[in-house]
Order: sequence, then C-alpha cells, then structure tokens
Amino acid sequence: MDDTYPIIRPVGEDSILVEYEEEVSLEVNRKARQLAFGLEQASCPGLEEVIPTYRSVVVYFDPLRVDSEVVRGLIEEVNAHLVEIELPSPRLFRIPTVYNRTHGPDLDRVAEYTGLTPDEVIQLFSVHAYPVYCLGFICSLAYLGGVPEALHVSRLPTPRPFVPGGSVGFAGPQANILPVDSPSGFNYIGRTFVAVYDPREFPPTPIRPGDYIQCPAVSEGEARMAGEKHLGEFVEGFQST
Amino acid sequence: MKAFRVLNPGIQTTIQDLGRSDMMKYGIPISGATDRRSFLIANLLLRNRDNVAALETTLQGFKLQALRTITISITGADLDPWLNDQPAHQWTAFTMKEDEVLHFRKRRRGLRAYVAVQGGFDVPVMLGSRSTYLRGRIGTLLREGETLNICPSDSEASEEGLTIPQEYRPNFDWTDPIRVLMGPQDDCFTPWGIETFLNSTYRISPQCDRQGFRTEGPTIEIAKGPDIITDPIPPGSIQVPGDGKPIILLRDAQVTGGYAKIAVVARVEMDRLGQVMPGDTIRFQRVDRQTALNLLREEAHHLDELKALLR
Repeated sequence: MDDTYPIIRPVGEDSILVEYEEEVSLEVNRKARQLAFGLEQASCPGLEEVIPTYRSVVVYFDPLRVDSEVVRGLIEEVNAHLVEIELPSPRLFRIPTVYNRTHGPDLDRVAEYTGLTPDEVIQLFSVHAYPVYCLGFICSLAYLGGVPEALHVSRLPTPRPFVPGGSVGFAGPQANILPVDSPSGFNYIGRTFVAVYDPREFPPTPIRPGDYIQCPAVSEGEARMAGEKHLGEFVEGFQST
Repeated sequence: MKAFRVLNPGIQTTIQDLGRSDMMKYGIPISGATDRRSFLIANLLLRNRDNVAALETTLQGFKLQALRTITISITGADLDPWLNDQPAHQWTAFTMKEDEVLHFRKRRRGLRAYVAVQGGFDVPVMLGSRSTYLRGRIGTLLREGETLNICPSDSEASEEGLTIPQEYRPNFDWTDPIRVLMGPQDDCFTPWGIETFLNSTYRISPQCDRQGFRTEGPTIEIAKGPDIITDPIPPGSIQVPGDGKPIILLRDAQVTGGYAKIAVVARVEMDRLGQVMPGDTIRFQRVDRQTALNLLREEAHHLDELKALLR
C-alpha cells in the first residue's frame, strides 16, 4: 500500500493541511470527505473548523488552546480508520434550467469549439448528473466535475466581468452554477432561477459535497416558475449506477 | 433604538463584529473587523462584550449625527475625527450629545477606523454574525440618510474618559517586515523565487479592499504550477499567480482557490495588514512556527493586561 499519502503539513500557526493523492477523482475526493466527516464527529477542544476540498482537508484550531501535535495525532487516528467512516447518502438535485443564447452567452462558442450544434451541446450537458466535489470560493459555490469529454472547452481567454447569479456553465471537466452575480471565465450556456445560495438560511445551501447536480432543460417560463421554489424541493435520493 | 443618522457614508463604511465561525466549509469567509485588535479595544473602552458590532470606516468622509446622547469610542486608523468643530478623542470613551456631528475628515495614519457604541449596532444576525459581507449579500454599505439602531446594553455603564495608554495603541508602522510562515506550497517556487520574496519590497497596488490586495514588485520565480488543485485559502495567505506578484488575502477573501500559496502571515500581523493602503510598501520576513506562536501568546497577554488595566 502506498503510504506517501496523506501528506500532513502545518499551515501558518493555526491550521494543518492534509493532502491525499494529487488528482481530481471521486475516489480521492471521498477520502477527503471521509476525513472531514470523521474529524467533525471527534470531540477535540480547540478544534475550530474542518474544510474538505478536492483532495485535501484543512483543519483550523486555536493554537493557544490545543497543541498542533494533538491535532495531528487526531488526524492520523481518524485517517487510520478512514474506510470505516460512513458518509451521508448522496442526493440528486435536479435544477430546472433554461438554455439559450440570452442566458447562455457562450453557447455558440462551445458549439464551435466542440463541433456540436447548440442543441447537441444542451442535450449532452443537461442529461448528466455532476458530482459535487466541494463547496467554496464565494457564497457556497459547488465545484462540480465530470463534464463529458466531448464538451471540454477551455476557459475564456479573458474572464467576463459580470455573469448573473444562477448562470450554468463549465470549463474543462468542471462545471458550476454561479450562486451570485460574479466575474467568471467559465463558458455559460444557460441559467436557473432557483436560488442555490441564501445567507438568511443555515446552512446557506442545502447542497453537500458528495451530492449530485443535474440541470434538466426546460422552457424559460418553467425555469422562472421553478425559481419561486426552494432548492430543497428539487432533491431526490441518488441511485448510483 | 435609533441612535445615529448617516450624513455621509464616506468611502466605505460597514458594520462588523468578530466575524463568522465554522462557515468556511459552506464557502463563506470569516469576515469581521479587519483590524481585530483595534475593534476589541473599541468595545473594551465601553465595557461591551468582545463581539458587539461596531462600524468600520475606511479612509475618509464618514459623517454621522447623534439622535440621542450616547457614549462612543473611536479606535484603529487615525482618520482625523472631529466632533462638531473640535477634534474628537481617539482611543478614549466620550459622550456625543444629541444632534452633534462626528466627521472623519482626512486619513492621517492607517486605513480603517472603528466606531463602537454601548450595546453595539443592531442589524440582523446572519450565519452567526452581524458582520457585513458584501459579495455574499450579507449587509450593505452604509447609505446617506440611513438611521442606525443600537441594541440595549446589557453591561454596566461605560465610563466617559476611559482611555488607552499610549503604549497600547498601535503605531501602524510598516518599516518592520511582515512576519510570515512559509508554505504550504512554497515548493512551487524556485530557491531564487523564495529569495526574491523574502528580500524585496512590495508596493500595495490600488486593488486593495477587505478581500485583500495585490502588490507590485519583483517577480517571484515559479518552479511548477502556479496552478494547483483548488484547496482552502486560510485568511492571511499569500498566493502567487502566474505574474509572480504576491496577493495577500484578508478576512473577506474567497475561501478556496487554485493558486499556490508561498506563505501565510503570522496571526499577529493580520491587524497591521488590515491597515495598509495603496502605495504603502511592505517586506516579508520568515519566522518559524514557535516564534509565531510566542508572538501570538504575547499579544493575548498584552490584551489581558489592558483588560485588567481598564477594569
């Protein structure tokens, strides 16, 4: 067994970074989520925040309350029993999305780049469910992966200074739904009016790392009607195949 | 309870407390007062609890009128505050009478000043804090004509004239280098790149806000990357994008990102960094973990000492 990973190293004086294999894959991401989940269950005074991302976990602690060696020991202990950690069942969010040139300024660019027609682009993108690797950036952005290779298009050479919240797009294998108006270099092909982020609620998004998101194509009218509803109404249990 | 009217919101004035905890995993930064120590002292002067919300105002122009007689304190940057036609006290609790006007006329030292009031400013608590986080649509910039409410105070009456001794006031001096801990991705840079980082002077660029700032100066040579698989960005991270110029991230910064982080600033330097402004120059100095920890202990001790002194 490869014992190079995880690499555990201090960051500043109040956090520890735990890194699994240097790749974007569900298998490696699962380890990060399992470790984070295990650490959240552990009770350790002075432990403050645990943040899983693609292949790594950062653990924040109060260095005046707990020694970093104690935190490191806890990480090693949880890691040693990683396979036994049961994660919450993944769920599928099916978020109605309107795809057209008005809401998807990059639809033609993607079509040109991939050699597909705009309708084929929409069909191919909207039929798949994409796994949530992690939450982050700003406003609970869900980092989605697994975009089919036929749709791999690089980022815009110059990011757009303004993309409306709810825009649905991708770049390379990654996809996202912008939680709020924001600059972005992704290729946006559609938009949902369902709020994926609401700071008046806790948690500010019901989406969890490990869930799946699909953006089925609907008409503009249906998409706007769906926007009246809460994201929680579009969740289903996920049957993995 | 109505307490103030905003006559001029200034360049940027927001309500802040100590910020959010345990929200980064939901993609929400910690936010809160950029210069935490000055914020804490402002509350200390009024015998408020630590986490009571205050105003953070930037640079100049902020003007507000009292709608009742009220005890306040001003700490942080010296933005030349005046109370009607007299210079106002700083680092000292004082009374503002009904209709009196407080005006921050011109920046003299530092960038962000704090105005605390007994009981604290009353805005809705969102995700566990009253701190404004503009990008996340939590709170807003103060607006002209707006009325500011305060919470009823649950602490004992504050003492007008309570003041912070000179030696406990920060001097906002950047001649001393900013102490940093190397990593977590310093291996993305060449030894020469690390040398450049530690031996150069960097000027704060005009792109400078509560999220952080870019710098201008010698290019840091990159060995690999600098793009990494997106990982968490601790506040105080110094990331280096492809142009080789360090970006320093503060408390409103995005919580994850894909640029290599050459270093993270020592915790005790965060407050000072919250007071730099475009055009200021800074240098970096490497310290080890134990040194950083000792500095942190020293600072905590310093604050305890001050608390005892004011009791």
